Amino acid sequence: MSKSKGISPPELIKESGSLHPINHMKDSIMNLLVSLGFEIVDGPEIETEEFNFDMLNIKKSHPARQMHDTFYVENKSSLLRTHTSPVQIRGMLEKKPPLAFISGGKVYRKDDDATHLPMFHQVEGIYVDQNVNFAQLKDLIYKIIYSLFGDDVELRFRPSYFPFTEPSAEVDILSKEGNWLEILGCGLVNPVVLENCKIDSNKYSGLAFGLGIERIAMLKHGVIDIRDFYKSNLDFLSQFK
Amino acid sequence: MKIAYSHLVKHIKEKPSIKKLSELLFQLGHEHEIADDIFDIEFTPNRGDCLSVNGLLRDLAVFFTVERKQELYSGTLQELKIDFENLSKNICPNISFLKLEIDKIPDEYKGFFDDYFIDLNVNKNNFFTDISNYLSYETGQPTHCYDANEINGKLTFKEIYGDYNFETLLDRKITLSKNNAVFLLNDKVINLAGVVGGKSTACSNDTKTVLIECAYFQPEAIIGKSVKYDIQSDASHKFERGVDLNNQENVLRRFIKIVSEHTNIIDMSTVTYVYEDNDKHIIPVDVDKINQIIGIQISENEYLNYLLKLGFSVEGGSITVPSFRSDVKNNNDLAEEIARAIGYDNIDLLDINIPKIENKNYKSIENKLRLFLLDHGFFEVINPPFVSYDSNDAIKVDNPLDSNRKYLRTNIVKSLLDNLLYNEKRQKDSIKLFEISDIYYSNSDSNKKRKLSIIASGRVGLNYEDFSKKINKQYLADVFKTIIPNKELDLNVLSRDSLDTKLKNEIVSLEVDIDTFSDDILSYKENSRPPVAFNQYIPISEQPSSFKDISYSIKDFSKTNDLQNLLLNYKNKIIKQVYIFDYFKNDKKEEIKIGFRFIFQSKSTTLTTHEIDLVYSDIVNESLKISGIEIPGM
Repeated sequence: MSKSKGISPPELIKESGSLHPINHMKDSIMNLLVSLGFEIVDGPEIETEEFNFDMLNIKKSHPARQMHDTFYVENKSSLLRTHTSPVQIRGMLEKKPPLAFISGGKVYRKDDDATHLPMFHQVEGIYVDQNVNFAQLKDLIYKIIYSLFGDDVELRFRPSYFPFTEPSAEVDILSKEGNWLEILGCGLVNPVVLENCKIDSNKYSGLAFGLGIERIAMLKHGVIDIRDFYKSNLDFLSQFK
Repeated sequence: MKIAYSHLVKHIKEKPSIKKLSELLFQLGHEHEIADDIFDIEFTPNRGDCLSVNGLLRDLAVFFTVERKQELYSGTLQELKIDFENLSKNICPNISFLKLEIDKIPDEYKGFFDDYFIDLNVNKNNFFTDISNYLSYETGQPTHCYDANEINGKLTFKEIYGDYNFETLLDRKITLSKNNAVFLLNDKVINLAGVVGGKSTACSNDTKTVLIECAYFQPEAIIGKSVKYDIQSDASHKFERGVDLNNQENVLRRFIKIVSEHTNIIDMSTVTYVYEDNDKHIIPVDVDKINQIIGIQISENEYLNYLLKLGFSVEGGSITVPSFRSDVKNNNDLAEEIARAIGYDNIDLLDINIPKIENKNYKSIENKLRLFLLDHGFFEVINPPFVSYDSNDAIKVDNPLDSNRKYLRTNIVKSLLDNLLYNEKRQKDSIKLFEISDIYYSNSDSNKKRKLSIIASGRVGLNYEDFSKKINKQYLADVFKTIIPNKELDLNVLSRDSLDTKLKNEIVSLEVDIDTFSDDILSYKENSRPPVAFNQYIPISEQPSSFKDISYSIKDFSKTNDLQNLLLNYKNKIIKQVYIFDYFKNDKKEEIKIGFRFIFQSKSTTLTTHEIDLVYSDIVNESLKISGIEIPGM
């Protein structure tokens, strides 16, 4: 019988925790954008109609402004921001071009079903300078998507509509199963929005884009049900180390 | 909106295939699905002008020669004498009426008119309403048909305020409230303008004399009404998005033409009211600006040629926007027209170089804290902010999803406590969670704070050193001492008295402003790193789990590794986790005691004792094949 005394104890495994996959995805995308030259700005989640809608050329009659789409608070004096765009409006009012901002965080819409949550996350970016054009916007979007999904992913640009950009586009990627999946919205900043922010639209133009973090995290991790992100189940969370 | 391929292609000279049309519709931004040769198209809300066969043909004309074969009645028309007053001309700047009397209601419909009902599987209603529905499909202009014999008295269009009762032609009784644009007959509401007509004046299968109203309504006056009254109508969908400002008379002439192809018209007369000059929208020709916006180089000829094909007119250096394109206002809008015509995917990339800006210390303290907590086995969670009641300074949501989500939380720990109980119910015996979030307060000088909140309970860790140690206040204090040795944190022990649980483990919590932590913590050297790859998620089981422990006594120390290798790598589909929960080397007795915990869980069923015992026996049998080890008591 061996009497070896030099035997070492079993490896002591002190399991580390994990970052929430949505925050991790948000951080990854923001880091990527910082490496492309963007500056991170933060803003409040409780916003005014002026910053969330008016300044962004979203008219009073727009369906998004109805009570069934937007959470209003404090007797309608404020609202829960429906996108992170108002942060960029605040940024543009504070700083003069050239400027390149990104903002990321929680946004709220009055929705709650299997595929929509009342709270979700976005990262949005804006770049304003002289002679910013659509072909450059495409270049930027290619860089972002290649970095997220690999250089071999196929993507397409579709004309779309957002009140704050013109021209506007939605970008899809082709899944392994052969389906086009919508990944982000983007466009050239509507001159009306630049003028609202006291930026001379004859001299400057801008590009803007926005990504839904949950959607990208679902695709990257293969999560089928968006609600799984917010159950705080340790069996779920521990898979994202 | 559903549009049949055959209804489009018959007006297109080149006769493109359905596949080709589909590709080009995507290029133009008209997302769609195809079933049975019908395009089901989701037009963006700015393109109300496309909501018809003709509208879509106008867009497709940028690629093809479109030859529309739709005849209008071209004869002269008598003036209709009607007692009508428009008291809200700002909402309805253009309106036409046509009164028609026919001798006989046709037994059947012919040609394209009949095809519409068959190809799109549309239900027929009555002759005049059917033409109205068809014309909305063909031209994008809704019309409303009243039974002319029911229109006795004064007809008024106006925006009313306050409560009015109204019965729709679909027999729904609704109470209109606040402001609504309506048609009144002798002060009684007979039509919710742009949304739905009323029952009292609706056409029936016997109607031979009809009054057709054809108007432009300002989208702002119509938007929201269909949702408010839960009436989804084709008309409201179109008026909300804006119809052609100047097409009312043509649509009525087309109406006459279709009627005349099916029956004899005994009498007809019409009247058109245009209350304000519809200013044409003009944009100066500036191809350099267009090239600059898109980042291309096209000639002025090429540019203007695209616009002409899309229905714009060009004269003397000015572009006139057609009346159906109310969405086009400036050069960016025109650039989008050109980019769509060229195809977004056909525009070459131009290298973008954004001047680099230093992002110094963005949330560096917060991010350091997160990694520090990861090192100590804490998991980050995110909770929605909505709660049933919080405190007096909680912000109230005016339109909550339900009464359990009426306020915004002023406290994260309560969310974390729910998360803890959720995991305890799933047999988790070591739970450490944290969340960092902005918290908002009502009526406070500083109405926003960024907070870190922590909750922990159960075993310190699932390893042989921490297994028998329980999380308590001292544990959490010790954890933080390693990073902020000189600061006392306000740690709390939460009572389990009011909680729905039989467990007794101490629950420790912390909620603190992020500002509590200073740059001092930045010197902490973390072991954890954010993951580099994005793991593929394996769906988790919601079935209950259970465990079995096996403790061994080892005399031949050299076999310790063999046992570990066997058990830690033992694979079975109902084994979810295995770890060493106990290890003790007794040098005096020359014995190692080592304990393994196996957690069992099935993906699909609650496991029976028998199923677990089968696997357990196999583990025991396999392990005992290793000489020099035994399971005391077995």
